[in-house]
Amino acid sequence: MKYVGKSVTRVDGIKKVTGDLKYVDDLKMPGMLYAAVKRSPYPHAKIININIEEAIKLPGVKVVTTGKDFPKRVGLYLADKTFMAVDKVRYRGEAVAAVAAETKEIAEEAISLIKVDYEELPIVSNVLDAIKEDAPLIHPNLGEYKHAPIFHTLPGTNISEHFKLRKGDVELAFEQADFILESEFYVPHIQHCPIENHSAIAQFDREGRLTVWASCQSPYAVRAALADAFKIPSHKLRVISPSVGGGFGAKAGTTLEGIIIPLAMKTKGRPVKLTYSREDEFNNSYVRQAMYATFKTGVMKDGKIVALKSNFIWDGGAYTEYGVNIAKSAGFAAAGPYDVENIHCDSYAVYTNNPVGGPYRGFGMSEIHFGIEQNMDIISEKLKIDPIEIRKLNAHKPGGRTATNALVDDACGLIDCINKVINDIEYHKPSQQPKEDYKVRAKGFACGMKAPSMPNNAASSAIIRINEDGSAYLSVSAQDIGQGSDTALTQIAAEILTIPPENISINTGDTAHNPYEWQTVASRITYSAGNAIIKACEDIKEQLFHLASIKLGIFPRDLQLEEGFVRSSIYPNKRIPIKDLALGLSMEDGSAVHGPLIGRGTFIPENIRNFDMDTGLADNPVVFWTYGCYGVEIEIDTQTGNIKVLKVASCFDVGKAINPDLVKAQCEGAIVQGIGSAIFEEIIMQNGRFMNPSFMDYKIPTANDIPEMLVSYVENRQKDGPFGARGMAEPAMIPAAPAIASAFYNATGIRVKELPLTPERVVKALKNHKILNKK
Amino acid sequence: MKGFKYYKPQSLKEASELLKEYNGEAHILNGGTDLIIRMKENFLHPKAVVDIKHIPGLHAITFDKEDGLRIGACLSLGTIAHHRDVVENFPIIADSAEVVGSGQIRNRATLVGNICNASPLADTATPLLALDAEVIIYSPNGTKLISIHHFFKGVRKNCLNVGEIVTGIKIPYSKNLKGAFKKGSRRQDVDLSTVCTSVVKINDEIRIALGAVAPTPIRGKMAEAFAKGKNLTHETITEIAKIAVAEASPIDDVRSSKEYRLHMVEVLVTRSLEELKV
Repeated sequence: MKYVGKSVTRVDGIKKVTGDLKYVDDLKMPGMLYAAVKRSPYPHAKIININIEEAIKLPGVKVVTTGKDFPKRVGLYLADKTFMAVDKVRYRGEAVAAVAAETKEIAEEAISLIKVDYEELPIVSNVLDAIKEDAPLIHPNLGEYKHAPIFHTLPGTNISEHFKLRKGDVELAFEQADFILESEFYVPHIQHCPIENHSAIAQFDREGRLTVWASCQSPYAVRAALADAFKIPSHKLRVISPSVGGGFGAKAGTTLEGIIIPLAMKTKGRPVKLTYSREDEFNNSYVRQAMYATFKTGVMKDGKIVALKSNFIWDGGAYTEYGVNIAKSAGFAAAGPYDVENIHCDSYAVYTNNPVGGPYRGFGMSEIHFGIEQNMDIISEKLKIDPIEIRKLNAHKPGGRTATNALVDDACGLIDCINKVINDIEYHKPSQQPKEDYKVRAKGFACGMKAPSMPNNAASSAIIRINEDGSAYLSVSAQDIGQGSDTALTQIAAEILTIPPENISINTGDTAHNPYEWQTVASRITYSAGNAIIKACEDIKEQLFHLASIKLGIFPRDLQLEEGFVRSSIYPNKRIPIKDLALGLSMEDGSAVHGPLIGRGTFIPENIRNFDMDTGLADNPVVFWTYGCYGVEIEIDTQTGNIKVLKVASCFDVGKAINPDLVKAQCEGAIVQGIGSAIFEEIIMQNGRFMNPSFMDYKIPTANDIPEMLVSYVENRQKDGPFGARGMAEPAMIPAAPAIASAFYNATGIRVKELPLTPERVVKALKNHKILNKK
Repeated sequence: MKGFKYYKPQSLKEASELLKEYNGEAHILNGGTDLIIRMKENFLHPKAVVDIKHIPGLHAITFDKEDGLRIGACLSLGTIAHHRDVVENFPIIADSAEVVGSGQIRNRATLVGNICNASPLADTATPLLALDAEVIIYSPNGTKLISIHHFFKGVRKNCLNVGEIVTGIKIPYSKNLKGAFKKGSRRQDVDLSTVCTSVVKINDEIRIALGAVAPTPIRGKMAEAFAKGKNLTHETITEIAKIAVAEASPIDDVRSSKEYRLHMVEVLVTRSLEELKV
């Protein structure tokens, strides 16, 4: 292949490094107004009264809105939220009123003039309290909320989704098991921290057409949500996402768009802009949900796991419109990448008065694997079986069964990945210890897997137009959010059309001009949009062959594309350039046929079926599973508690790397983000208050925290993937935290139950185990 | 950020008069790395800012063995951290300047600003405390020198009166100076100190300064008195560190518990003394 499988330079590179690319907050429009938001100082309170009189009188203020203006409940999977609080607030920082004014300063001053009377309600700050029978109800009307039929809400409780997986007979299997082990784990809330904060602009014209410029991953999903919420016909609602400076899931849904649209309705055509501060970004976009996990595992003497009973309790925060699907995804992946015959898993999405949980790279998988993988280490130690061997013994292998009892695909390359990483990190060779006696080094290992969690009918489409000079426009609504999809998708088109990538321009991010894409989430874009593009290219090819067949007098079956020409497969010198057919074929008598070449392609995964609602079992519930693993080496300063990750080897089965450099870049980014989640990142909540909503006290890795990285991949072809490719961007982060925790155990003998491994937590653990002063 | 007036005076006298004219509602602008953020986040709303960077004479660094080291108010931390006179004669100051914020911050921020900001965890405060530095202050009544020990008055409070401007820092030279600056932080780079320490050895005298363990940076006087003249054996070092811990009175906050801060005082002081004994 000429372009696929090659490390083509990023097609969006120059505009990004030069700054030519404009992000939403860079956009300035004539007459633009600035919004500011009044937010709740209480995590749970009734709104008694909102007085906006003083605010509206302030010179320069154009509009003030409150939640009552649009009380309709909306949400992606569960319609439980309003864009601004209506009768009560459910987390500290929830929007209660908004202002549009001539300047940001005036808008902010007006906000301070809005007076809100609240009646405080008892708060639910902890997910374990939230599931108690006498817990205050955060959504007493849960039973009335609309939701997708695949979810199971429990009205009268704080549980908005209960996913049950029931496979085999766990109780019987526990009776027969040689050993039963129990463990529990906790992962805290963390945040995505995209470098670009959320930003949106809304503008109505006089015909009621709404244009929204938003930094979002999924313009069509945003359009659908806003059209539904504000009763605007889809053809009159245009969503433009000019560029996205990092998403990681934070920009997958709708957040601030719903706050500015009601304002823009009343500004007589003037656009209204709202850009989140970093503090807003932390508090008021999505956070990754915290989660408690318990595991009870039945194991035979030879290391074979025969039964697993687990509970995942997700702190979904104030609204779980998106979070319910994370709980479900965790449930159907209950055993991780291991083949277990008897599984009993309950996964609950639970309301609390904490910030709103939502999608975050991994969609629940990083959280459950923190427990699943350490649980494997615990079993390995108990049985005195090497941790790698016990994983290989239980690993998903072609012909095996997943947790939902689906057949494991022939393309499952987990064992290949394990062998590669063990070799790269020299897992069985002990670390060389540093000269300082208070520092200790050790290695750790963990596996991970993930499937795209999406509706069965999540579709993609693509349109290709051939220009007069033989160059092409590729239109899709897959968003390049930094992951490099513009480049990979261009390569796919280039490969089939034999037009070099530099002669193809990709257009994205505008629902008025580019065709449908469900969402840029779930590591599905290369797979799904890639397939749509292949079909669009095949469509072009068919048209070209039809015209060339007339022109050259050769059967279409004997034609092929080569370097911008349609040529005979039999007589290579019989050929015609694509450009000569771009506008149709002109005949010798001057007449013409066909017209411009436009290719269309659509894709929807085949035959993906629902889970059984009672057992959670399904024979084909997801498009694919992506497998991989990490080997890490860390150094612990046992006195200060600081951990340095020295080296990470990772390997994932990507099916086919469309662009090897971009695959590696994704893996490297995943390692760094994974390190953050393992040793730095944690939203500190105290009674519903987010204590560290800034980079001063919420630490993410810097360049100096990046370890030596040995990134590799294996390529077991995805049967329905474009050129065999499958998604890998999210899976690439999943094993990071458990691998680091595993290394920590190997260094200290202490099993970490809770993330992150901050210096203080490390010192406390070492002191408790009396390891600290042994030097 | 609210609106404010910007002044660019050409002399200390002019600057001082502006500050007096606004009677506490004007703020000196030097590197701006603390001030601008605090204004943007609405912690401060000065009616005016007085930019002192254009006043001649505040950008110099001078050194001689008699007078010691003088660091002008407008010198950036980046410059100080790599200045030959500092690196050769006061490496502890260079080390502390090198860990404030990020490279970009150090190119703007000044050591004098770091001190005037009077944060209890200011990285450059502890070496100045341990070296008995003096703060050079322009006041309408003439220039005065104030010991660094009298400069800090509390969290974000210094001893300056309205109209007074710190023009530099003076640090006495000692031939046999050995020092160790240590910083404990959640992340190695671009982080605030959870605890920072400066330990200095001049002949048989040990001086210990601690940051982020009290409302201002402090000296561990009892630990110093115990250490004076003693051989730095392992046992002595353990004892000195324990006394230093007893002198610290840190708080619990989002960055650290009190217990961890006390633990870190012990670790950092011990490590420093182990380094200095050789």
